Amino acid sequence: MARAIRVVAVPGAVLAAALLLDLIKGHRDRFLLPLVALLTTLSVIFLSRLDLFLATKQIMWVLMGSALMVATYFLIDDIRTLARLKYLAGGAAVALLAVTVLWGTEHHGARLWLSIPGLFSFQSGEVAKLLMAIFLAGYIADRGSVRQRPRPLAPLLLIVIFALALFVGQRDLGAAALFFGLFIAMLYLGTGRKGYAIAGIVLFLAGAVGAYYAFPHAAVRIQAWLNPWQAPQHGGYQSLQTLFCLAEGGIGGTGLGQVPLGNLPAASTDSILAVIGHDLGLLGIVAVVLLYTLLCVRAYTIAQRAADGPGGPQARAEGSFGALLAAALATIFALQSLIIMGGVVRLIPLTGITLPFVSYGGTSIIVNFIAVGLLLAIVRDCGPPTPEHRN
Amino acid sequence: MRTLQTNIIKLSLVPLVGFLIVCISLGYWQVIRAPALRAHPYNDQAQQRAKSIQPGQVYTSDDQLILGVRQTPEGWVRAYPAGEVYAHRTGYDYKTGLSQGLHQALLGVGRYENFWRNFRNGRPTGLNVILTLDSSAQATAARLLRGKRGAVVALQPQTGAVLALASAPSYDPQRVLDNDIVYEMFRSDPASPELNRALQGLYPPGSVFKIFTAAAALDAGVANPQTVFTCAGAETIAHTLVKCRNASGHGRVSLTWALADSCNVTFAKLAEQLGPQRFRSYAKKFHLLDSAKLCLPGKSGKMADVLAYKGERELVQAGFGQGATLLTPVAVAQLAATIANGGQVIRPYLVDSIEEFNGRVVYRGRGQHLGQAISQQTADQVEGMMVVAVEKGTGGGAAIRGTVVAAKTGSAENPHGPPHAWIVVLAPAHQAQAVVVVVVENGGSGGEVAAPIAREVLKALLR
Repeated sequence: MARAIRVVAVPGAVLAAALLLDLIKGHRDRFLLPLVALLTTLSVIFLSRLDLFLATKQIMWVLMGSALMVATYFLIDDIRTLARLKYLAGGAAVALLAVTVLWGTEHHGARLWLSIPGLFSFQSGEVAKLLMAIFLAGYIADRGSVRQRPRPLAPLLLIVIFALALFVGQRDLGAAALFFGLFIAMLYLGTGRKGYAIAGIVLFLAGAVGAYYAFPHAAVRIQAWLNPWQAPQHGGYQSLQTLFCLAEGGIGGTGLGQVPLGNLPAASTDSILAVIGHDLGLLGIVAVVLLYTLLCVRAYTIAQRAADGPGGPQARAEGSFGALLAAALATIFALQSLIIMGGVVRLIPLTGITLPFVSYGGTSIIVNFIAVGLLLAIVRDCGPPTPEHRN
Repeated sequence: MRTLQTNIIKLSLVPLVGFLIVCISLGYWQVIRAPALRAHPYNDQAQQRAKSIQPGQVYTSDDQLILGVRQTPEGWVRAYPAGEVYAHRTGYDYKTGLSQGLHQALLGVGRYENFWRNFRNGRPTGLNVILTLDSSAQATAARLLRGKRGAVVALQPQTGAVLALASAPSYDPQRVLDNDIVYEMFRSDPASPELNRALQGLYPPGSVFKIFTAAAALDAGVANPQTVFTCAGAETIAHTLVKCRNASGHGRVSLTWALADSCNVTFAKLAEQLGPQRFRSYAKKFHLLDSAKLCLPGKSGKMADVLAYKGERELVQAGFGQGATLLTPVAVAQLAATIANGGQVIRPYLVDSIEEFNGRVVYRGRGQHLGQAISQQTADQVEGMMVVAVEKGTGGGAAIRGTVVAAKTGSAENPHGPPHAWIVVLAPAHQAQAVVVVVVENGGSGGEVAAPIAREVLKALLR
């Protein structure tokens, strides 16, 4: 009975939030919140299967996240005003990361947590990624097309390199990759030049090779990725256990919670996808991947519609901020899911990054909900007039 | 804003492709690679599952049980009824020997997983494995090697079936498992009993390698069995001093007699005449440096680069099996089997068949044909020269009454002490049913130490 309440509570909360938004402001997106409700419900189901205490805490985070999402939606009167805060956001992101590198708490060899003694602690990178999205969108929208004036790229590059250095200082390579990918995507949107994207990817690979030689922490991860069978006792252990877990599931899965898991490390966070593959099999896990695909497609659709916003040159320039912010958020969702999924299936090295809405983690859940709140606000403020709202 | 809109659409295609690739990779791991991963030795769940599976047993070709199972309250446990005679075959736990090499077959998992078999039996079961080994030859080899360090390999030359595979010193797997002190002594023993010398021991082949040089030279038309060479006892060939076992020299000597009486100078000259290119190409045709694929850990041989700068010095020494040439006993046995089989190279095999508990065969092993290394005529000529070695030369110790035996002895110089005693024997000559290779580390003269062992093993096989 308690378990049933637990499972109903989550989609209930998200859908109640949807209803609330519907009643008061008549929001216009019918896809995002059901998808989020599905994903968070899956999260609670799988966390209950792993650890009831974690599941209960996750429900709390989802409730808080939903509330903050609604609050974001209402507190931001017009999403375009956020563009004015771009330097504040960029500076805050960098400051947050710098403070974490200097005074953060270390977990598993990575310094990702910032704790305010006696109150709470949070993963500063998660918050920083949202602030960075606002900065990048604001900056690119402000400069219009960067193509005509290449010089303004310099401060952009500077701030991003600084942030990257901080991430590497934190030893959180998954987040560094996410960050870099976001930067390249935004640069492409701003300039429309594929050359930048390709150069960026080459730069990133060079950086990865550099990290391999510079940081033993990174070298271990990369070696474990290239050959987990060689050193199963060392770095390859997690990767191997993840693959064993997936293989155990096969096509149809072993059934939800029917068969005990092996010794899967980080089952509730990095490797939760492997647990889904174990219990639901290839069919279930592909369905989950499809949910993420739909989420990303929806977010990109919002961005694309916002780009086609209300008329007038001034309004257009402002409208592009909404489109760029939505695209940045969509890219964050896409990259973050792909980095962790790619790690689980050994396409890329396994990194400690959360699967949005599904991995356990308070900061991650809350930040992702706020991102959804921002997306909904973008639909409200930047979308083209739809027939039923054309008055 | 049109451009921003199209850029967003283009950008959104990248993650779509990414998600597609993730789905394909998931299919790869969860469907294609799943059976292998579900049976992987590092997979703890596979180990858990394995405890509930009744594993198969391993038999010799004449049905002697060498690796059994025993039921205990904790599950199925391995039993080693054949003790140290087969220790290098069975191994001493699930991570060594055939328990590891045939892991999937013995447990009926991975490649050998079969839903219907498990359904018929009402529970998952393993498969029995029948090896090609002959228990009497194996017992003879193990008995004669006791107290020595060395190996015996016997092959059926026409099929490539491994008839005997012995390595000494050996150990009793059960005692190693049961007693921690015995285990510690076993692991730290300087004589390395765990090493399977037949497959993992790399030795200079010494004079037994002359059959390769002879075969290559005859096949290339460089010489024939009657070609006359001169030997002064010690000569400098290609800037290398070559000493013959006959210090006063053989004088004028035919190739046949040079092989029979093991004349180093002749074979140094023969290798020089053959030249590095052909020497290497024949080594390749004979598959000399392949590692044996017998479901057991093995090593591949080594040979100096005779084409390199100053390679002719290496070539001259390789001509009589010294220098940097190192081979495993099983590779030498494959070389001899090629001579006995009319020049056809066959890769040896150890697993005769894999059967269900009811006797239904699911796999039948056979030796892989690797092509013709030399002509039938050359092979016959080399065999004829080896017969002379038994009748009049160094191989007299291998003679068996009533059978024409062909052999080549070797006393391979090495940095670890007295020479390694080698012999290669095949019988009956020109229709060989068995090839036997014996090596005794630091044993001394091949004709005196290795030949009696080979003779007894051969007798057991020809009986």
